[in-house]
Amino acid sequence: MHRRFEAVAVALGWTFLSCGLALAHHSVAANFDQSKTVEVVGEVKEIAIRNPHSQITLDVAKPGGGVTEFFIEWSDKNALLRRSVPVSLLKVGDRVTVSVMPSRRLPNLGYFRTATLPDGTVLRDCGFAAFREAIADGKTGCEENTR
Amino acid sequence: MSFAPLVGLLIAASILSQTAGKRADLDGVWILLRAQVGTLRLTAEGEKKRAAYDFQKDDPDFQCKPASFTRVMHTPSPPIEVRQRQDHVEVNYEFMDIHRRVPIKQGLAPKDAPYASREYPHLGRSAGQYEGETLVVETVGQSAGVLDTLGVPGLYQSDQMRTVERFIPSGDRMQIVVTHYDPVYFEQPLIVTFSYLRLPNGKIESWGCKPEEATFERFIRDAK
Repeated sequence: MHRRFEAVAVALGWTFLSCGLALAHHSVAANFDQSKTVEVVGEVKEIAIRNPHSQITLDVAKPGGGVTEFFIEWSDKNALLRRSVPVSLLKVGDRVTVSVMPSRRLPNLGYFRTATLPDGTVLRDCGFAAFREAIADGKTGCEENTR
Repeated sequence: MSFAPLVGLLIAASILSQTAGKRADLDGVWILLRAQVGTLRLTAEGEKKRAAYDFQKDDPDFQCKPASFTRVMHTPSPPIEVRQRQDHVEVNYEFMDIHRRVPIKQGLAPKDAPYASREYPHLGRSAGQYEGETLVVETVGQSAGVLDTLGVPGLYQSDQMRTVERFIPSGDRMQIVVTHYDPVYFEQPLIVTFSYLRLPNGKIESWGCKPEEATFERFIRDAK
């Protein structure tokens, strides 16, 4: 399912946050709905490529004016480097469209799928499973992470 | 000058080498292909502990503390490295920067071995030996606490747990078959099988875990 939104449900988000997190544990499959894709448009506020999970923070326009934060969880830094994902193409201040698999519990959280950059470049991450398959096939890694 | 003592020594060394087994091609950097958890039968105490497990409070990962070698190997993307030396084997785990040293010494009981990882003594003491081409590592002295948070979330171990890991090479594949024996929490030994793929030219990188970056609580913190 694809849907696009310029803002997230802030009120609902705060309700969830104030109730505390009820995540089972921190595996991607447990916390993010891999069957869905949501597109989030916003300005890159912060990029933290790190272990154990990277994080991108977007400022997203609210329907009634102002902005709110949307958090994008991503792989660990070492894995991104190993898969040769050109993370340096993402820049603070850029307006981007990021496709995410949405969090099962938090409305302002998703897991990275792709990012469309201001010049139209699509930043991709083949992911660990594809990387592993490529290695098993005798390749050196993922073929292409941008288009 | 007689060469008899030297010849005798060489024969003895050869016999000892055959008894100890042959060192196979385990050296290299390996990425996880899959992990398979065998039948889990917990004692009443084990079930109770698992039911009470609260990942937000009880998961040692959030304090950047590796729960166990099994938990570490359940993390999909960070590779592990095996290096066989003359009298020990190094196993380096990228996740949480764990450097493990397993002595290979005939007759050494694990309880008499030094801590396997100086940085993380709670992971216990390990001793290894070869059975044919299989490296067999036995570990005791693991601190009581959480055993797994990812493969089987909320699995606990007691300080009586004994663990046997069998490193089985097969060309560019390797299996590590882990058997946990814990009379306090397991009705029967728990077997977890990890299948690995060799990563050509792979390298273990620094992990550099920081507690403030390792928890989901940052989303609350950052949102404030």
